[in-house]
Amino acid sequence: MEDVHLSLDPGELVFLVGPSGAGKTTLLKLINREIRPTCGEVWVDGLPAHSMAASKVAELRRRVGVVFQDYKLLPRLTALENVAFALQVTDLRISDQEAEDRALDALEAVGLGDRGDAFPYQLSGGQQQRIAVARAVVSQPPLLIADEPTGNLDVETAWQITDLLEDIASFGTTVLVATHNVEIVKRMQRRVLTLVDGRLVRDQPAGRVGRLAWAAWS
Amino acid sequence: MLVVVVRNAGRYLFGGALRNWLRNIGGTAPALGSMTLLLLLSGLVGLTGFAARNLAVTEAHDASLLHVYLRDDATSDQVDSLKARVQADHRVTSVGYTSKEQALARAQRRPGLPELVDATNSNPFPASLDVQVKQVGDVGAIDALVRYDVAVDPAYPTSYDRGAYQRIQQVLFFAALAGAAFLLLLGFVALTVTANSIRSAIHARRDEVTIMQLVGAPRWMVRGPFVIEGALTGGVAGLAAGIVTMLVCLALIAAGAGSFAQVAPGISVEVAVVAAILVFIVGIALGSGSSLFSLRRHLES
Repeated sequence: MEDVHLSLDPGELVFLVGPSGAGKTTLLKLINREIRPTCGEVWVDGLPAHSMAASKVAELRRRVGVVFQDYKLLPRLTALENVAFALQVTDLRISDQEAEDRALDALEAVGLGDRGDAFPYQLSGGQQQRIAVARAVVSQPPLLIADEPTGNLDVETAWQITDLLEDIASFGTTVLVATHNVEIVKRMQRRVLTLVDGRLVRDQPAGRVGRLAWAAWS
Repeated sequence: MLVVVVRNAGRYLFGGALRNWLRNIGGTAPALGSMTLLLLLSGLVGLTGFAARNLAVTEAHDASLLHVYLRDDATSDQVDSLKARVQADHRVTSVGYTSKEQALARAQRRPGLPELVDATNSNPFPASLDVQVKQVGDVGAIDALVRYDVAVDPAYPTSYDRGAYQRIQQVLFFAALAGAAFLLLLGFVALTVTANSIRSAIHARRDEVTIMQLVGAPRWMVRGPFVIEGALTGGVAGLAAGIVTMLVCLALIAAGAGSFAQVAPGISVEVAVVAAILVFIVGIALGSGSSLFSLRRHLES
């Protein structure tokens, strides 16, 4: 990546678009310190992701919820356990009861309060993605990043997930979504960051439907 | 609060490690086998080394103790004169006297010799002056000083055997070298096999590890279960090897009795138990150590 300067405000829902190989996933990985920048700075909620020691990275990641295209749920755990697991492995002081209560709250927030006992294989793709979202936000991180969260979903379910992300942003969490879904980006009219060949070529503010020339290349 | 932390740590670290270890027992079996073999051989080689060290100490002591055998017809004046002359030498620590009767009694306590003694009507053992020399290297000089004395048996004057001690030291040195090289080789194999089994465990649980890392689980929480899995492998191998080592020792002690004590001086039931415990501890250290090694290579965050 090169020449990328941007900042995200609390409660913003921002779409990150661009053709395949433009650097969308790389940018998300830089934010979450899955990779370390060779130069430049990445600040997340006051923490220097670019210079943190490996032993401190966990502290950063507790402030960043992550949602993947392929959900990444643990198949041996139920929906409730998947969400509670994320809570307890980051903070051993959380009791089983508290973890269960908070996980149930998160599941209810994503509309799956009644499916807590279901295993991932018993759920549809959209439901699994909702659980992944619940897991990402259960510890109330200030930032949520989502890498192609609707990539495996049908149109209707994709809209449901997008609405969910919008709701999360409305509660003050910054949400950054990397996507190829032109329809969603156009209709949501939120801030759009366009990456091409590792460069930020356009930073379009919310409320405008800009050009999406990159879509022709993808 | 503390109870909650302990319970959660126990569940995610120890419970998780035990569950995964049992689930992956098939993949762990080669590591378990090679580590058990290594630890068993280490235990046995260690015990052999311990016995060899005791033997070397005994030999060093014996080598600096020169027995000067006296003629049966030597007068007490001749013996006293020789004793005084030797005692006056600055290289000598002490001089004792063993009568023929004492020599016979001593011989009867040694394995195999009572039968020999019973076969003859007379006492075949000579009286002797037992000269404790300060330095092993001076034993030859003391031997030269006394061997032509009138009181000394001209047929078999002393117990001096030129170079015997050095030969024993040489044999022990090369045996130790060969043992160490053998253990190093086995250790390398065991470490490699265990590290590979941990790598397989990491691979089998990559989704869980990825999720733990991405939600911000601390490093020790992510790595801990794998280290405990390695320690479990090493602990089980160490326990098995320790028990076998102890049983082998006990069987040898029980079966060999007197003759064994001569071959492996210092090996007792207590030593066998300590050796078994050490093998167990080394197993745990080896297992967790090779896990850490594997984690550093295959689980960088």
